Amino acid sequence: MTDKNNKIPFNEDNYTHNINRNNERKLDRRGFMKTLVGAAGVFAISSLPWGALAAKELTGLGDKKYPKQKITEEKSLAIGDAVDFAFPGEHDSAILIRLSEKKYVAYQNACTHLRCPVFWKKDEGEMLCPCHHGKFDVNTGEPIAGPPRRPLPEIYVKVENGAVYAVGVKRYEA
Amino acid sequence: MKRSYVPVALLLVVLMLNIICTQYMVHQYFYENYTNTIIAAVINVILFPVAFVIYKKGVNVND
Ligand code: FES
Repeated sequence: MTDKNNKIPFNEDNYTHNINRNNERKLDRRGFMKTLVGAAGVFAISSLPWGALAAKELTGLGDKKYPKQKITEEKSLAIGDAVDFAFPGEHDSAILIRLSEKKYVAYQNACTHLRCPVFWKKDEGEMLCPCHHGKFDVNTGEPIAGPPRRPLPEIYVKVENGAVYAVGVKRYEA
Repeated sequence: MKRSYVPVALLLVVLMLNIICTQYMVHQYFYENYTNTIIAAVINVILFPVAFVIYKKGVNVND
């Protein structure tokens, strides 16, 4: 094309010499490779948010932090007994159950059906919601009978110097 | 002007790897295997410069 510039007049018999539409939409080898490289770029960029989210999960930035809170003394809670407390807020009632010498479990005890308080039935070994007879597995908080369909939110506990502390709430996944 | 379609084939391989890594990454994220998610994401990012290099070589030699 360049050699045609600056030569006046153009050696052509029409005035549309610079309009060439014949190959406008042709995808040649080079163009195809460019498209592929562009696609690789799009894939690379779109990976970044996933990587960032995964890194965030790994570093634990997503977990909410609550100050640890003393629930009770180990001595005052016999094996198989339960005690009520509030965690993390003062209106989030929760229940701590001592299952064995070393094993404690704690859940937020608002029933996942209609938020009635859930009780620990020692002799039956399960957690019972009296409102509509919902039952929960004491080891996992999973609903096992009645209307509730979601597990009770678990609270992490830690035993230190003969006292039981609530340290965090398990991230809730319905 | 003889053309080589080797770079084209290589780029198609790269694209295939991209697709595989992306799907693996998303699935591993929802399976909560976050380390695997990051590995797949890094591979995906590295594949872009690889694709670019393949393109550069392929274009200069034969076109
Ligand atoms: S509120 Fe607990 S079963 Fe309905």
